[in-house]
Amino acid sequence: MNKEEIIVKLKAIVKPYIKNQEAFDNLTEDTDFIADLNINSANLVDVILDVEEQFEIVIDNQSMERMLDVKSTIEIIETKLSEK
Amino acid sequence: MIGNDIVDLALAQKESNWKRKGFVDKIFTNKEQLLISKAENPEIMVWNLWSRKEAAYKIYNRKTGIRGYFPLELECFDLEIIDGIYFGKVTIKANNYFTKTEITNKFINTIAVMNIQDFNKIKTLKNSKNIQKNNGIPIYFEKKNLAKTPVSISHHGRFKRIISI
Repeated sequence: MNKEEIIVKLKAIVKPYIKNQEAFDNLTEDTDFIADLNINSANLVDVILDVEEQFEIVIDNQSMERMLDVKSTIEIIETKLSEK
Repeated sequence: MIGNDIVDLALAQKESNWKRKGFVDKIFTNKEQLLISKAENPEIMVWNLWSRKEAAYKIYNRKTGIRGYFPLELECFDLEIIDGIYFGKVTIKANNYFTKTEITNKFINTIAVMNIQDFNKIKTLKNSKNIQKNNGIPIYFEKKNLAKTPVSISHHGRFKRIISI
């Protein structure tokens, strides 16, 4: 799976939780889940669980710590996929 | 330093399914999970513990500049009820923060402080007047004497709470 495919899949995952449509429409690697998309911090765990389910990977606590923006999340997904 | 978090219970019920597989394991320690399973109302306990962690995280974030998603590292201790208010402690690495939580049937609000005496100094502000953000951290500005006081703002659903010290 290449980066573009990961972003498309990730965008679909975060969509139900976003509170800022404009930031979502203009999503880039620098987009922050909380500061830009205004995702509720309690819903961040849903994003993480959805990522685990849809990419069939396990996100350990250390990785989860960094999952606040699109860029880190892509990196984590790429790493976990390569370890499979 | 202070931290403040409010949960609109009706909105939380709509936005989050805390019973979903993995949810509780990613957020709560084994001891906290035991508190949830033993609670008369597990859902209230979920948001009670969550608001404590959030309020404590706000202090930790301000003090250290560290930003991250590590709910399991913030652990709630010593839950005690005095006159209907829940008092407790949250630890993160070597830091201890004191928490005071008000629970109603509509919302849960936690205030976290570094020193237990600070609970007496907390003021609730009616609006965002004279509040400026500095690197994302709100500060209350008193124009007359240029004094600055730390502020913590929390907004969820129907409820907004602004406190200062």
